[in-house]
Amino acid sequence: MTTVLTMARQELVALRRERLPLVLLIVFVVMVSVSSLIGWLTNTTVSNVWQKTVEAGLTQAPNPFTDVSALYYARNTVIYLVLIGALMAIVVGVTSAMRDRKARTLDLVLSRPISVPAYLLGKLVGIGAWLAMILALVAVISWTSISVITGAALGPGESARLVAFYAVAWLLLQAFVTLGLLSGIYSARETTALLVPISIWSVVAFVLPQIGTSANPVSLLNPVPSVIVPGGAFDTLNTVLSPLSVTEEFKTASGLILGNPEVTGSLPLSLFVIVLAFAVGAIVLLATNRDRIRGALRD
Amino acid sequence: MTDIAIRTTGLSKSYSGTAALRNLDLTIDSGEIFGLLGHNGAGKTTTVNLLTTLLEPTAGSMQVVGVDTVADPNGVRRVIGYLPENVQFYDNLTTMENLRFFGRLSGLSQPDARIREVLDYLDFTGHDDQRVGSFSKGMRQRVGIAQAILHEPSVLFLDEPTSGLDPEGVRQLRDVIVALNRDLGMTIFMNTHLLSEVTKTCTSIGILRQGELAYQASLAATLEAFPGEDSLEEIYLNIRSAPDS
Repeated sequence: MTTVLTMARQELVALRRERLPLVLLIVFVVMVSVSSLIGWLTNTTVSNVWQKTVEAGLTQAPNPFTDVSALYYARNTVIYLVLIGALMAIVVGVTSAMRDRKARTLDLVLSRPISVPAYLLGKLVGIGAWLAMILALVAVISWTSISVITGAALGPGESARLVAFYAVAWLLLQAFVTLGLLSGIYSARETTALLVPISIWSVVAFVLPQIGTSANPVSLLNPVPSVIVPGGAFDTLNTVLSPLSVTEEFKTASGLILGNPEVTGSLPLSLFVIVLAFAVGAIVLLATNRDRIRGALRD
Repeated sequence: MTDIAIRTTGLSKSYSGTAALRNLDLTIDSGEIFGLLGHNGAGKTTTVNLLTTLLEPTAGSMQVVGVDTVADPNGVRRVIGYLPENVQFYDNLTTMENLRFFGRLSGLSQPDARIREVLDYLDFTGHDDQRVGSFSKGMRQRVGIAQAILHEPSVLFLDEPTSGLDPEGVRQLRDVIVALNRDLGMTIFMNTHLLSEVTKTCTSIGILRQGELAYQASLAATLEAFPGEDSLEEIYLNIRSAPDS
């Protein structure tokens, strides 16, 4: 346990000093910070248009933002987590896995009384702590900005849902960290190590959810979206493949936690897929053997 | 406490079917400064990597201070220090940050006081908060020695410790090696190409040839056994070029 904590502490020290994770971190925090503002601007713009439409007598429909949860303003954060957050997690994972090989300190580390699982678990714990600190900071920024925009502090229920949302976000990012770590361990070159998980992320985030919808040739050729026949081949394909997209499951879970009325789905199923992605990655990671870790340094 | 620091029996290591080390039987007493000589590819680094538990043998066994390296690798790691050839550190971290990490990995819970003590012993003070990336080869080597002895190991493994050092650096390192052996009673196992260093530093030597131990004896016995040779270099070359028996 001591060696795990030593590795975790070293990970935090190293992350504090490295430039690329720092740049990504700044971009991520800034984007998430302005997401509440973007949500507020959307609300204001739509409400103004609705007001003018009502005044012109063109509609009697209620304001679409009436009774919408204050957490609505955090919904853009979901997209930034899937895009910038996941990329940041991959880069941090790859950087961490390759650090000792690049610095040529791996033999020194492995000549100390530390097992390979403890070495890797320490890295995972260290990065997890780093991500937890970042997400805690972002959660505070979100809570504060939403409270300012709505003119009232978020209540205990909404605050708890916000915390739950960031806890799920941490799990998602940790899943991508394990992907980055594995790629860093198994790749001989840093470019390959970055390219492989980013390609996987692209497939998971963009391809899997679209197969069976955008892959429908009619919808690709026709600017007017076609209605997919329920029970048809494309619908079945989409039903089978879309749950495999951990990012889509995160969007679903986040929407349900944040009370977005447009999102439907099963929260337990979405959480299960996210936890499963992280657990599988962590198990494969911790099963890595010593020879694999030494990799290119092998005599 | 055993009187034998290192013992290998039938130690072999192959890489993809190619033998790098064959049937190495080696015994090194505690308190020795042992120099392992051999040409490039003779198996010196493989031997050190096996003894430091970085590699597992293909066949045979080895004990360091009586601890089996395969059965209890962490037990061995606790009693050894290791300085690899061309030692590197985390360049963007300071001397203290690097040594704290390796100290904690070696089991020191509060390493700062011990680090200052070791740096003082090695006459390397005033660089605690400097980043290692700015250090010369000789300075890195000092930090390397420091990390290797922080936990007061019984056996210190040095892989080509003088490689790349200027003559002043070589002399300083030699003094450190002798002092560690004399003051702290450490058994020292070093790979080297520099025969002059062996003469000035080691108490016993071994010569590897094509993965096999061709010779092992104390330095004094070696010089006595080859009275006709003017230098250790000649002895080394004669043993190396001798036909396989």
